[in-house]
Amino acid sequence: MTLLEDRPQPPSEEHNPLLMDIVPGPRPAGLVKYITSTDHKQIGLNYLVTGLLAFVVAGIMALGMRTQLIVPNNHFITADVYNQLFTIHGTIMLFVFAGPFGFAGFGNYLVPLMIGAPDMAFPRFNNLSYWLYLGGFSLLMAGFLTNNGAAQFGWFGYAPLTEAIHSPGPGGDLWLVGIALTGFSGIFSAVNIITTIFTLRAPGMVMFRMPIFVWNILVTMFLVLLAFPVLTSAFALLWIDRHLGGNFFNTQKGGQPILWQNLFWFFGHPEVYIIALPYFGVVTEVLASMCRKPVFGYKGMIAATLSIGALSMGVWAHHMYTTGAVLLPFFAAMSLLIAVPTGIKFFNWIGTMWRGTIVLNTPLLFSIGFLIQFLMGGVTGVILAQPVLDFQLHNTYFVVAHFHYVIMGLVFGGLAGLYYWYPKMTGRMFDERWGKASFILLLIGFNLTFFPQHDLGLRGMPRRIETYNAGLGWNFLNELSSIGSYITGLGVVATVINLVKSYRSGPIAGDNPWDAQTLEWACSSPPPDHNFEALPPIRSERPVWDANHPDMLTKVGH
Amino acid sequence: MKVESRTIIGAFVFLVILAAAYWAMVATYGHTAERSGIAMLIFSFSAYGLLGFYLLAQYFRRHGTPRVEDRFDATQEEGAGVIDYFPAASIWPAGMGLGMIFGGCALVWGLWYLYIGGILFIGSVIGWVTESDYTEDVLPGIDPAELADHEVPSGPSLPHHG
Repeated sequence: MTLLEDRPQPPSEEHNPLLMDIVPGPRPAGLVKYITSTDHKQIGLNYLVTGLLAFVVAGIMALGMRTQLIVPNNHFITADVYNQLFTIHGTIMLFVFAGPFGFAGFGNYLVPLMIGAPDMAFPRFNNLSYWLYLGGFSLLMAGFLTNNGAAQFGWFGYAPLTEAIHSPGPGGDLWLVGIALTGFSGIFSAVNIITTIFTLRAPGMVMFRMPIFVWNILVTMFLVLLAFPVLTSAFALLWIDRHLGGNFFNTQKGGQPILWQNLFWFFGHPEVYIIALPYFGVVTEVLASMCRKPVFGYKGMIAATLSIGALSMGVWAHHMYTTGAVLLPFFAAMSLLIAVPTGIKFFNWIGTMWRGTIVLNTPLLFSIGFLIQFLMGGVTGVILAQPVLDFQLHNTYFVVAHFHYVIMGLVFGGLAGLYYWYPKMTGRMFDERWGKASFILLLIGFNLTFFPQHDLGLRGMPRRIETYNAGLGWNFLNELSSIGSYITGLGVVATVINLVKSYRSGPIAGDNPWDAQTLEWACSSPPPDHNFEALPPIRSERPVWDANHPDMLTKVGH
Repeated sequence: MKVESRTIIGAFVFLVILAAAYWAMVATYGHTAERSGIAMLIFSFSAYGLLGFYLLAQYFRRHGTPRVEDRFDATQEEGAGVIDYFPAASIWPAGMGLGMIFGGCALVWGLWYLYIGGILFIGSVIGWVTESDYTEDVLPGIDPAELADHEVPSGPSLPHHG
């Protein structure tokens, strides 16, 4: 069966906007709907739920590691298991949770709604990319069931640790294939979303009227298109090394481990921005909506996003300063340059809140949490971008603290988005008290976990050690850190309870509970098949606000 | 298409400059082992160049007549008509995904997984492409020619706006 989709129109007598309602026949439900749906909203929800599941699973791994480190000379888990846990924790958090949760979960659900499209450009392709993503997640987890256990070489799999002689067995191969499948899923999503944004916008929705979130997803998708093919080719070389006797990275036969590092980080640093940019967009939308103001410096925000995307292609080797084989001044200068557009973004976020009518609810609290955490991570990032300091701090807990501040900042952004669009996705309002409790637990727990790790790093504790001796001055800080991780776990539990409870019994939210600005709030909650029954005229970057507040039209300055 | 093509071509130009600067600095400061970065930057700007100039060609193909989504003053009525056709629920993407996952297992546990994966993949491709026929399944009352009209209008019959 094929559905033709008409442009939604303002309701009028002679025009029937619901052409698809003519199509008879039952619609799939339940498990069949989950498996076969080509609806971007269903697929987006699949991504969001699977991503949250991955977050919880990898979070449990982190709790296992922190329990092992809570006292010196602990024997809670063996060194082998510890290595597997940090490898799969990092891999799942980056490839299965943080990235796809943002660009595929929120991206799928929101991009067509925000630009006034009925669906994605390639709906069945969209479904395929979800299955590759789920397959990649399953294969990564399947490593734990094999005889030798999962991969043990850390999430960036440095050669020659990944060679067959050092990491025998299927665990390493499962890691490799699992990531490659999620990579294909990302590339397919990128093709789909870019085509959607370029060709399926509503009339009047010019590029410079799209919400900042859509712009950020667009730039993210272009980074995916460049980064993931490089990673897949690196994996092909590694697979040849492991199975066909190749010597690309094998030092004993004249291979180049540095080649792996170059290939991996050429993917790996854009990946950081692939993870970050969607949540920047989420936070921009939440701040604008909850502060009752248009985004401050709309075009500056877009320019900043574009510059972050462009500059991120030239900073890959700042992870490799201590190899001595990279051009330090070039990469240090490029890395420091990225702080400039990020600073513009912070300025604009604060400008959006400035003199706004601030509604201090859960999504806004999480957004403010994002601003604080991410700023901390950004500042330590500037420290690490300077070779003189990086040579001291490389591979210590300072680095661990740095990137966890960055990524947990983004998790705060993700939760802000989850709470903000929860009424749109489910039609029901979440519980404010549980949401605020979750925010407070996460804020305290997270800072208690990772702030001491800065000091641990300065005291010389290297990352990825499964235990340590007493008397190094690390005991108390590790204890604090582990206690903090349990509080963080409680915060996540509070959010999960809130989401499940409100889905069953929350009050009905209505179409536009936040009196928001962008186009996704113009359809019902949850949106019907093919999204819009009628579209408001689009005359600025916040069409729904203009339609609801004719006395306060957005100034258009083009 | 103007903003789209300019954005991508801007990224292309930036990456060309970046690659040239990186090449010059590597050559000057003598890290002879570092060729992979230059290769990857060349791949990057080639990819963006391909896409950016394709979009620019699409822009020129319209001879200055912007699409409704590119006009600041377009109304919803102007965009009336069929947008595109969107397939309904389908089992074939899941089958194809499963085939590709089995293909991945073949890289781990042995090539015999490819028999299962290959059958699933090829079967799903056949199912996918024969599932819906663009011309036959069109709804009653819609002239297939209307779909063709939705494409880019041909050049010479339209007025030129520079």
